[in-house]
Amino acid sequence: MVMNMKKASELQYGEKGKIDKIDFSHPSSQRIIEIGFTPGQEIELINKSFFNDPLAFSVRGSLVAIRKNEADCISVS
Amino acid sequence: MNLQEVETVPLITVVGPPNSGKTTLFNYLSGKNYKTVNYPGATVEYSVAHLQKKFNVKANVIDSPGIISLSASSPDEKVSVDALFDHPVFGFPDLMVVTVDSSQLSRHLLLVKQLLNSGFRLIVALTMNDLLKKKKLGLSLVKLKMALNCEIIQIDGRTGEGINNLLRVIEEELEQIKISGKDPGNISITKIDRDSLLSLYKEIEEIERDVVYEISSNGNGFNLEAANSQLKLVVETSSGITNKVDSATLKIDKLLLHKIWGPVLFLIIMSATFTSIFWLAQPIMNLIDDFFGFLSSESAALLGNNLFSDFISTGIISGTGSVLIFLPQILILFLLLGFLEDTGYLARGAMLVDKPLSKIGLNGKSFVPMLSGFACAIPAMMATRTIPNKRERFLTIFILPLMSCSARLPVYALLIAFLLPAEKSWLGGIFLAVIYIFSITSSIIVASIINKFKHKIVKEEDNSSFILELPAYRRPKLSFIFVNSYMNAKIYLKKAGPIILAFSIILWFLTYFPNTNPTVETNNLSSEEITQAKEIERLSTSYASDLGKLIQPVMTPLGMDWRVGVSLISAFAAREVFVSSLALIFKVTDENDTFQQSMIQSMREATIGETNQKLFTAATITGLIVFFVFAMQCLSTVAVSKKETGGWRIPLLQIIIFTSLAYLLTFITVNGLRIIGIS
Repeated sequence: MVMNMKKASELQYGEKGKIDKIDFSHPSSQRIIEIGFTPGQEIELINKSFFNDPLAFSVRGSLVAIRKNEADCISVS
Repeated sequence: MNLQEVETVPLITVVGPPNSGKTTLFNYLSGKNYKTVNYPGATVEYSVAHLQKKFNVKANVIDSPGIISLSASSPDEKVSVDALFDHPVFGFPDLMVVTVDSSQLSRHLLLVKQLLNSGFRLIVALTMNDLLKKKKLGLSLVKLKMALNCEIIQIDGRTGEGINNLLRVIEEELEQIKISGKDPGNISITKIDRDSLLSLYKEIEEIERDVVYEISSNGNGFNLEAANSQLKLVVETSSGITNKVDSATLKIDKLLLHKIWGPVLFLIIMSATFTSIFWLAQPIMNLIDDFFGFLSSESAALLGNNLFSDFISTGIISGTGSVLIFLPQILILFLLLGFLEDTGYLARGAMLVDKPLSKIGLNGKSFVPMLSGFACAIPAMMATRTIPNKRERFLTIFILPLMSCSARLPVYALLIAFLLPAEKSWLGGIFLAVIYIFSITSSIIVASIINKFKHKIVKEEDNSSFILELPAYRRPKLSFIFVNSYMNAKIYLKKAGPIILAFSIILWFLTYFPNTNPTVETNNLSSEEITQAKEIERLSTSYASDLGKLIQPVMTPLGMDWRVGVSLISAFAAREVFVSSLALIFKVTDENDTFQQSMIQSMREATIGETNQKLFTAATITGLIVFFVFAMQCLSTVAVSKKETGGWRIPLLQIIIFTSLAYLLTFITVNGLRIIGIS
């Protein structure tokens, strides 16, 4: 499989991705991890809000909404 | 709760992530009979109660704020987390009950693992078991118990299902503690950094793989034996169960979070909520209105024309009536908010408005407090604690008094009724909607202006964040919502009732004394006219009038007189007092009409001083509405604002800015309307 790295914020509607790593330098990274975004987890972009921000992802069987700039710190492949 | 008790009665702390059913469980355990106390020196509150007597277990229960992890991201969270380890009043807990949403096991086990690693003795209460079943998943309690090495109980805090099991285990654990003695020695805050979180999650993923299994579509999900025998197969064949988001929730969100339909439906849901408050409450309000009008005139007739009679009929009955008349609206508002919350829609609302709100310095998480602000600013200000960024939180608190709280409803109801001729009263709902839209628009404008000075409100820069779980949609439990709304309305009434009644009595005193038996010209007058003349004379020589004359210069530019001024001042205690003050000043007692009708009648007849100029006109009434939209009038709100922001700066700014804005805009409205020909 060809590794195709991108940010979670770049996923399309209904597109899935496996979390590769979390950028620890982002101020929200600890919260992002705590709410369940950890490397190895498969996430899917479920919904975008009116202005394409925040984004709702499915993670660990839950829906979690995070801002676009926070989704930037999640790399998926 | 005395201190001796604290030492002898065991302490149970209820802990859990947001949306895990923690508060529902606490309410069930305490019977909603709890005290809310501040942590010493902090704005953070906790609730404490005795375990309900009927459960026959003697213990104190503490509800702690919802947390997803033991690492704190705000000063308030730090207070809450530290208090888990060493409660400033109760010390460390003998036992913890941790609520875990079983359909979100892997996320909610994080807190459980952290607490276990810290050395707490705990019982896990698994909630939302219906949701797990809906996902066609089951879990093995035996395996989970083994993996975590603590007691696991399935419960439903809304119906009370499984609570007996929980109580039995609590009792057993407390017995054991009694024998072995409580041992705080091992309790320690483990360091939590991002790497340790990741490895903790790895452990949890293994546990999840071990305990969660798929239910075959024809099988019975909660037959544990069958499930356990299946489990082996499942674990061996599949490479791990994928816990998917509830499919019904995804379908509903396709619509409710749709790019175009999402915001449209949001607006429809919100406006339907607020208009139905008016439509649904009106018939009940009319009944209450009739009842108190009847009671007041009957008691006046029965007791005759004396001081005592006047005190009972105007002081007490009108005062009580003006409190109770808006109770239906408050109750309906609480019901609708409870309904929206219980279905899971409120979190979607927060997501939809995050972007626009962040443009004016607020946060999507300001949405729920702002919505609650339409009921009452006090619980709304407390609800802002979920906003992690201090500046966004303070700004939300700042504009909350502009949300049209339910105490303004009776005021608007009266003023709107005055503006509308009787045959067009159906327009009331639309008028009210216009006022609501006006107040929302104003608060947006005010917030964006205040946001320009945001560095003056809170100096330190902080990460602005919006991370919010969107709970699965659930069919709301109506009985649960009804009981909750009833409780909230009761708490509200208890808080506002005495203030309003006290002010009614004070105001009655001020308007009746010192000239209790004035002498008036009685030539050629009927007894009714004499009574009326006496009342006018008594009022114009009363203490209230003396007080009012002091503020007359302030009221004149607004086209109003001291009587409105006195009512406005008393409305600073609580806004709804305005209605009862007007009722007292304009002597609404002995007529056969309903309370509101006779009040509006005497308002229509009122003139300014000795002139023929009408006091209440379309212009002055509209001006009064504008005043109530902006003015910071409620003393309790000021007190809570001070408490929540930890100082006088924000509440003082609110009083100065909002009240002067109110005065200025009322002046512009009244005189502007007069200039364009509407007197």
